[in-house]
Amino acid sequence: MAKIQAHYDGAVIGGGIAGMQAALDLAGQGFRVLLVEREPSIGGIMVGLNKVFPTLDCSSCICTPRMAEAAHHERIDLLTYTEVEEVRRTDGHFTLRLLKKPRYVVEEDCIGCGKCEQACDWFVPHEFDYGLGARKAIYIPHGNAIPQLPVLDPEHCMFDGACARVCPKNCIDFLQQPERLEVKAGSVIIATGLKLTPMEAKKEYGGGRYANVISPLLMERMQSSNGPTGHVMRPSDGRIPRSVAYVQCAGSRDRTIGVPYCSRVCCMYALKQAILIRQHHPGTEVTLYYMDIRAFGKGYEQFFRRALAEGVRVVKAKVGRITEEPDGDLVLRVELIDEGGRVAEIRHDLVVLSQGLIPAWRPVGIVPARLDEDGFFEVPEVTTRPANSSVDGIFVAGVATGPKDIPDSIVEAGAAAMEAAMYLDRISRVEAEEAAMSEVSND
Amino acid sequence: MSGGNGNGSVRVGVFICHCGGNIADVVDVEAAAQAAARMPGVAFSSTHMFCCSDPGQAMIVQAIRDHGLNRVVVAACSPSLHEATFRRAAAHAGLNPFLCLHANIREQVSWVVRDRAQATRKAVRLIRAAVARSAHLAPLERRRLPIRPSVLVIGGGVAGLTAARDLASRGIEVTLIESSPFLGGRLAQLYRIYPTGQFARDVLNRLIREVAGHPKVKIYTNAQLWSSEGFIGDFRTTVRLIPRGVTEEPADLQAVLDACPEEAVDQFNLGLAKRKAIYRPYDGCYPPLPAIDWRTCTRCGACVEAAGGRGIQLDQEPEQIEIRSGAIVLAVGLDTYPLRHGEYGYGKFPEVITLAQLNRLLDPTGPTGGRVEIRGRPVRRVGFLHCVGSLQRKGVHPPMRDGRINEYCSRVCCTTTMHTAAELKSRFPELQVYDFHEHIRTYGRKHENYYDRVCEQGVVFIRFDPARPPRVESDPKGEWPLVVRTVDRLTSGEELEVPLDLLVLATGLVARDMKRLIDLYRCSVGPDRFLLEVHPKLRPVELASSGLFLAGSVQGPMDIAEATAAAAAAASKAAALVCAGSIELDPYVARVDETRCSGCRICLQACPFGAIARREETRQAVVNEALCMGCGTCAALCPCNAIQQCGFDDRQIGAELEALLAPEPELAAVSSQEAFDGKAQGR
Repeated sequence: MAKIQAHYDGAVIGGGIAGMQAALDLAGQGFRVLLVEREPSIGGIMVGLNKVFPTLDCSSCICTPRMAEAAHHERIDLLTYTEVEEVRRTDGHFTLRLLKKPRYVVEEDCIGCGKCEQACDWFVPHEFDYGLGARKAIYIPHGNAIPQLPVLDPEHCMFDGACARVCPKNCIDFLQQPERLEVKAGSVIIATGLKLTPMEAKKEYGGGRYANVISPLLMERMQSSNGPTGHVMRPSDGRIPRSVAYVQCAGSRDRTIGVPYCSRVCCMYALKQAILIRQHHPGTEVTLYYMDIRAFGKGYEQFFRRALAEGVRVVKAKVGRITEEPDGDLVLRVELIDEGGRVAEIRHDLVVLSQGLIPAWRPVGIVPARLDEDGFFEVPEVTTRPANSSVDGIFVAGVATGPKDIPDSIVEAGAAAMEAAMYLDRISRVEAEEAAMSEVSND
Repeated sequence: MSGGNGNGSVRVGVFICHCGGNIADVVDVEAAAQAAARMPGVAFSSTHMFCCSDPGQAMIVQAIRDHGLNRVVVAACSPSLHEATFRRAAAHAGLNPFLCLHANIREQVSWVVRDRAQATRKAVRLIRAAVARSAHLAPLERRRLPIRPSVLVIGGGVAGLTAARDLASRGIEVTLIESSPFLGGRLAQLYRIYPTGQFARDVLNRLIREVAGHPKVKIYTNAQLWSSEGFIGDFRTTVRLIPRGVTEEPADLQAVLDACPEEAVDQFNLGLAKRKAIYRPYDGCYPPLPAIDWRTCTRCGACVEAAGGRGIQLDQEPEQIEIRSGAIVLAVGLDTYPLRHGEYGYGKFPEVITLAQLNRLLDPTGPTGGRVEIRGRPVRRVGFLHCVGSLQRKGVHPPMRDGRINEYCSRVCCTTTMHTAAELKSRFPELQVYDFHEHIRTYGRKHENYYDRVCEQGVVFIRFDPARPPRVESDPKGEWPLVVRTVDRLTSGEELEVPLDLLVLATGLVARDMKRLIDLYRCSVGPDRFLLEVHPKLRPVELASSGLFLAGSVQGPMDIAEATAAAAAAASKAAALVCAGSIELDPYVARVDETRCSGCRICLQACPFGAIARREETRQAVVNEALCMGCGTCAALCPCNAIQQCGFDDRQIGAELEALLAPEPELAAVSSQEAFDGKAQGR
């Protein structure tokens, strides 16, 4: 792992696809970049996805090379498992106060052999698989993780020393402390991405209470070939579902939960998952209950039509309530718009709540840039400067400025890098002029 | 360049990728790896879940070192995706990267062959061919080409202007060419833009100020693409400059305009007004000088006389200039869907207009001074009809001229409609507004606010059945100019008759006629006729031809903010290229064997890049390696077999073909289930 410098041209906060792309595009223009990621691995949400719309490319095939490129770039340094505690403007640059969380593993010495993980006896539900798979109390986050370094989870560790005994490099350090760092950066790019609206947000849908009402991200992991199950199943009994329902806008366009906006990706990810369910289990029916199908991007409407051709059913309906049957099946009470608002009760054996997108990070008081009332970063000049925050020198990309799909996030990351590059040129010109001025006055 | 090791006995490593399940679900990768292990020259074979991932690459590097491999064959996805990735890995292990070959067993096998045994056999056959070819590979060195530190931007709309501004502020020389006499493109024709509600003109004027005043930017209007030569690093584009006709601002412009006797349809105002043959689209346009529309002008000289004989020249000849640049940004934008006569009543009823036309009417500087009226009649009831020319269906909508229908969504019309309807309702609260739609796609940040607002403002939403789109007819009772007949799926398919004063068609967006551009730069075009990026996620603003970047809606429908972001992203890529000063190119050049060349000159004529010359003293062909693009035409045509193409020479291709065409490969039983243990078969 490269030694962290005291000063960078750009600090990119967030190591998901937008952050990595922004870092690469800024470094590509010759600037030195620090990429800071809160989780133990870069890759963000995308590295856990199965296939991506509308091309059905495997997500890892697009994301992992970006991860490798960012990690190995000669002008990019990587800091994972690190929180940003403060970004403040100090004359001419930004100072970032960082907290490097302890992995309880000496990063410089670890060779990523995985012996500690094998030796550990304690199984814990794996966050990467949304609890469906297991990991150990010391674990490499996942097969595609970068860096390939283990992290010890002190909440579940029994401190029996099994890992330390097998470590060939003797680099398990139970007493490792958090480390505080201060780094200066000429500019900052924030690409902190998204999390989903809580499963429990819509109480009437039973998310978090009913075993077979699941999150679309869990569906991604179930459908992934490197996922915990390798196929779609009902969490309650492991059976392959015969009738899957997608409840669209289950966390978007809904004032009652404070998310009045459209989350922009849910129609497409639901259609994509539905196509893949139909392909793997042709006997399984999939129904989307939707308000509008928002297939607006390049090739998206064509993708929607492909889903229909593959037998995915779409029903314009508002789901009012979901109840659980004793066998784990679910009954959806729906208002069928195309049938004049007739209310019907329809039984399915697996329900996916198409949760909306909310910001993963709300750095009020941490970053001087303003947030908008929707919780995402404010972009005061969105039409002409779509990557500029309210603070000159701080740029934003990806879902940090509102829900966005992967292509749009990547393009915006390029824009943020360009803005940062222009800004850095500008301040270096100003600095050069000031230096020249002071020389003149000194003479 | 690092790496060598082309010599000595051949030791091939074969790495087969599961690609998640993309390959392994269909191809028995373990059986393939076992088969590969028995191929001649193979010293190691293995599989990996994701060869392209960091651990996957690390495995390749390790195997090269541990097993002394001097050839690498990776059987995975398409080389266009990851050939470079694996070559880097090989180089990392100290091997010349061109001793690494990539066999495509995803696009060419697992995605197209269903039967597991058959797919596995085909995969093994492709691997066998790559292994056979690899034995004849020789180390190659990449060429380094200088990059001219300047960029040509084609198109003077919001995307082109943004790209030019961004590149210039990084200190890069920019030439911007615009085919029309004025900058601004479609943004100039808009009134207010979402989601900020700014006046489009204000946004545009600021952008033009930033670009036009910049010392690094040179702007040519009335500039048409004529021809193009060269390649990445040194494009030479010839542009034909159509004379403007006006060289200095007339003292009394109004008198000059009044003097012109020729009128034409005002395209800027979308046919809602007329203008003279000498014209300015709007006050405050850039360049501010008027221009002459030569298709309308009869060269009668009335304007020259009115201008006192100064500043107007009717006999200027077009001029050609050559623009040299290291990279090119394409930002030529798009068009609105061309309505046929009578389509939804357009052209038949003057009360049927497009959304773009309504925007001109709403503009206080527009043809009606901001009044929304048709033939002088005020408007009481307005309808908006979505998806005109978008989301088309076979059998429902007649195809466009190229025989294709527009299946795609035009992305911006829903929010533009909501935004415009909100503007109408707030300016004319007594107006009744109806919205005929299939889906409302207000997807973007703050777009939904406009939808909410028009709902509060009392706009009535009617959801039509796309299989039976609304019909526009005259009112049989004669009380209203128009009646829209449709079913409403929101009220269980009720048949509705909606009388209207004005129907606004939210026409979709279509690709421009870009034939010349496409031919000159060999651009890829998608089935939707827009230019096609290399990959929507890996390289979203690049064309397959190196050095060409896509900015904005030349790629597909986008709103202003999206086009601006795309233009900045394109500028970022172009800046990275030209700032680097040079670029490495693949070493696939043609080489002439002087002992065989007879000097027949066939190759000289055949080379599309002018890369072959004849050395006078020996009268033999000689290849300019900086110009050679490695197309192989010369090698194929040479009657003496004197030209070989590096990386694709006769022995390599011959060995590959022989292995490809040899009898069915023998396989151990193909496992019926997916085997994911991923153990290596080293020896």
